[in-house]
Amino acid sequence: MNDDYLWDKSGEPDPEIQELENILAPLRYQPTPLELPDDVVVRRKWNYFPLLAIAATVLIALLAAGVWLRVRTEKSTPPQEQAKSVPSVPSVYKETATPEVVQKKVIRKRSYVKRRESQEAIAAKEQVMLALRLASEKLKLAQKQMKSPHKIG
Amino acid sequence: MHELNATADMLLMKPQAQAATRQSRDNGIEAVLVSAALAGDRDGFGQLYGLFAPLVHGILLARVPRAEVDDLVQDIFLHAFKKLHTLRDAAAFGPWIAMIARNRAVDFHRRSKETVEITDDVRGSNTSDSRANEILELIRNLPDAYRETLVLRLVEGMTGPEIAARTGLTPASVRVNLHRGMKLLREKLGFTEGL
Repeated sequence: MNDDYLWDKSGEPDPEIQELENILAPLRYQPTPLELPDDVVVRRKWNYFPLLAIAATVLIALLAAGVWLRVRTEKSTPPQEQAKSVPSVPSVYKETATPEVVQKKVIRKRSYVKRRESQEAIAAKEQVMLALRLASEKLKLAQKQMKSPHKIG
Repeated sequence: MHELNATADMLLMKPQAQAATRQSRDNGIEAVLVSAALAGDRDGFGQLYGLFAPLVHGILLARVPRAEVDDLVQDIFLHAFKKLHTLRDAAAFGPWIAMIARNRAVDFHRRSKETVEITDDVRGSNTSDSRANEILELIRNLPDAYRETLVLRLVEGMTGPEIAARTGLTPASVRVNLHRGMKLLREKLGFTEGL
């Protein structure tokens, strides 16, 4: 038996196989045109990458906002306590300081706290703006990829 | 150096090497045509049909009555067209459609268990056709692994490497299936009346 001829039709032809091929030839596929109905349309393959990118961006933005809010509340709590404790006059001043002096010091301290809070708020706002800018850029990129021609693999 | 070049040329001239080159080129074409079809190009799918219809025909011929094969080929390609978006690897269209064809053949037998398969005998009007049907019946009675590769090789005229590339089977297993299947077929033909 010629194995090469059976495998890839190379080498010396095997007469038995050739005869079998001749006998079975009428059964071979006869080309016929494919009849695809006009209303049948191939569905487009969904590319989940842009959706995932959008979801990830939104998630990152939410996390950033959450972290910022938490940091802000944590930082703002001690000064409030400080501010509350400010009106109680320290023992050193109790005897020496007059009420006017104490009041001036309290006002100065409050304005310092306010300034510090506003600085922190501005810094936090900048962080959020940066996060939002990043999110919007990623969103734009994802939209571009959705509009671009579909690729497989 | 000359010896090396000569060996390389010889290798390139070998049918196996030619088949491998043709195989990789076909896989590339396959992926391009699938992408085109997915983008709405019906002609691209038509070309895929032209490339793979003999494969589907052979797979069905090894399993279902001959009279049903042509209609089933059309059905399978229509189904493949509708479900093309579910194909993950565009270069694996061959193995994918081969699997659809095998499943459809199983479905066919499940649905028509009560039907008596007389169609092949009725159609085989002349002697050469009846001889062909007789041998086909012998092949169909071979184990599952052998009949498909034998039909693709002997009826559809594909080579072993082509069968491997289109069905997704390894060349080694196709070779073994062809060899063992042919041995069994020879034995069966010897039991009947020979060629």
